[in-house]
Amino acid sequence: MIMNWVALIPALPALSFVVLLPLSRAMRKRLLWLPPSAMAASAALSLAAFVRTWPGGHHEEPVWSIAWALGHVGGRPLELGLALDPVAAATLVVVTIVATCVQIYSLGYMHRDEREGWYFAVLSLFTAAMLALVLSDNLLLTFAMWEMMGLCSYLLIGFWYELEGPRKASQKAFLTTRVGDLGFLVALFAIWANAGTFELAEVLHGAGEWAPGAALVVSLGLLWAAMGKSAQIPLHVWLPDAMAGPTPASALIHAATMVAAGVFVVARTLPIFEHAPGVLTAMMVVGAATALAAGLMAAVQHDIKKVLAYSTVSQLGLMFVALGAGSAVAALFHLTTHAFFKSLLFLGAGVIIHAAHTQDMREMGGLARHMPVTTATFTIGSLALAGVFPLAGFFSKDEIVTVLLHEHHYVTVGFVLLASGLTAFYVTRLWFRVFSGPEQAEELHEAHRSMLGPMTLLAAITLVAGFAGPTYAEFLGHEGKWPEVTVALISTLVAAVGIGAGWWFYGGRSKVVNTRVWKQRLGYFYDALVQKLYFDLTYDTLFIKGYFRASEGASAFDAHVVDGVVNGAGTAWVATANGAHAFDQGVVDGAVNGVADASKGIGGLFRRLQTGRLQNYQRLVVGAVVVLMLIVIVSRGA
Amino acid sequence: MTLGLEAYLMLAALLFSAGMYGAVSKKGAVQVLMSLELMAVGVDLNLVAFSRYVTPVEMTGQFFTVFVMIVSAAEIGLGLALVLAIFRSARSSEVDSLAELKG
Repeated sequence: MIMNWVALIPALPALSFVVLLPLSRAMRKRLLWLPPSAMAASAALSLAAFVRTWPGGHHEEPVWSIAWALGHVGGRPLELGLALDPVAAATLVVVTIVATCVQIYSLGYMHRDEREGWYFAVLSLFTAAMLALVLSDNLLLTFAMWEMMGLCSYLLIGFWYELEGPRKASQKAFLTTRVGDLGFLVALFAIWANAGTFELAEVLHGAGEWAPGAALVVSLGLLWAAMGKSAQIPLHVWLPDAMAGPTPASALIHAATMVAAGVFVVARTLPIFEHAPGVLTAMMVVGAATALAAGLMAAVQHDIKKVLAYSTVSQLGLMFVALGAGSAVAALFHLTTHAFFKSLLFLGAGVIIHAAHTQDMREMGGLARHMPVTTATFTIGSLALAGVFPLAGFFSKDEIVTVLLHEHHYVTVGFVLLASGLTAFYVTRLWFRVFSGPEQAEELHEAHRSMLGPMTLLAAITLVAGFAGPTYAEFLGHEGKWPEVTVALISTLVAAVGIGAGWWFYGGRSKVVNTRVWKQRLGYFYDALVQKLYFDLTYDTLFIKGYFRASEGASAFDAHVVDGVVNGAGTAWVATANGAHAFDQGVVDGAVNGVADASKGIGGLFRRLQTGRLQNYQRLVVGAVVVLMLIVIVSRGA
Repeated sequence: MTLGLEAYLMLAALLFSAGMYGAVSKKGAVQVLMSLELMAVGVDLNLVAFSRYVTPVEMTGQFFTVFVMIVSAAEIGLGLALVLAIFRSARSSEVDSLAELKG
């Protein structure tokens, strides 16, 4: 079966980056139709690939694969390749649809920015890297794309690099994820040492026969890497700051690319983790802790984008819990539904920020009366995030709970339900703060069609995607089941409690609840949450300040010791040169000038003879003749 | 009293010396020329005296003298022409005014 067009799925967005890269700003602006078209074509191809993969199921062989030999390393062949299997096909569709929506939306959102073309170029490269990572059949290529995404996130978060906030945030994101990437590198070394190949299928197949402890090292490394990329505690600090970038880019980072990569790679390599059960437990603990802590932090944020960012961290925590329970399907399904409704929420937040001219929710309100489409779509996204039937989030969360109950992780279930309740609470708080209450801004107006279109599409998908749950599981080769009624009832109850609490605090018409009183009642705990549980502070004190101190020490060493040696050598050289100069001036030039002076003096003496007076010459001649004659006479006489 | 050869030689030497003194010390170019002439005359007298006293038969000295006088006459003609030329260019006939060869 010739399906090499699958390779075009990542190649098309990459191509639009390559085309835009060398052009001037003005030329890029004229070519703005290119990246969204390439992205849409890529989405169409992904749908085609999905159809060709249908009905999926579990197979040893991928539907399509291609490999390029790179050469030999240590006598072993090294190949990079792409492979299309059901997991990849399903994820491709999600990524390309979200990315296309984001790109079309960006046409409207970014159209006033001068560097719009560069934004689209990086956006395309970002998506291309994610698509290649999804299709990669090889951990080396996966790692390369993983790093490429790190670079693109750096560029996008720091897109407005003339401002200090985005600049710092981009560095923070890059460095924090790099700390995680170290784990990936360690895992790669261990894999090459034990398996001798990076081929994903072979690696997963042979993981059982590795040296004892190898699987532990590999899975710990991969977990650490994924925690960095998918913003799990303690490496979550970059994601809320990453909100400094353009809002559609945040949508992409939070839904289709970057953070999804961590979950995806762990889901792909889950068979390795099964040989190291301790790491799975650790993953579940990290996920549960992250889900809860991030949910708490989201509940006290006032910046609309930060609420959504912490919400993403929390939801990723749920995915890690599912992965820790050994269920890649539940994690990937939640990843999928989350991708749709979270990108929808971010795009909506972009419209809201445009209209309200602020990101602070305390300065918003009453948007529902002016922006019907945004309100409707945002409400759908919020309810999906809260896990309300029949929206997407309800099904995927229930699947996670079902998996946990099936594996008898009852404590974790408690954590997940608590996090879900918190989710419902903060999303309700956000909704009431933004959409109801008195208007605080003038000239509120609905966004342009190019922005509302993608949002409507994503909202429609969010409405129906949940029902695809069992089909999705079967497509990935697992048993597809609807959530059990008891689970559904419990989670609905939790969501209702959360929403009710949110309404009670923020939605009540007469504002009977004074939130300040509650803040005071929570006291120290509230302060800790506002301070983001002191993570940033700790890192700042431990690492950043220490790093600066070390740099200052190195600088002092450089200034005194190294520069001292260098300057000393310079001074000695100058002294030597001065000596040589004196010798040259005194001795060599002295000899030369002395000879010249002597010649000049002698010449001066003889010069006096040349008076120019004829009679002087005559006298000399006469005198000379007389002297000669006297000599002759005297010698004769003698 | 008869004058011997020595008397002629003494007179010749006197003439020559006077001429040499004039040639070396006089300022005017014409005076210098005249002094040169005096030196030539001293030499002529020598030639004639030696010829008369040493080889009376042959007239070699006298002939030489005639030649020398002719050459002197020519030399004076040339010399005076030179003096005229110098006077034209230097507006002076003093020998000291010509010092272009000073080194």
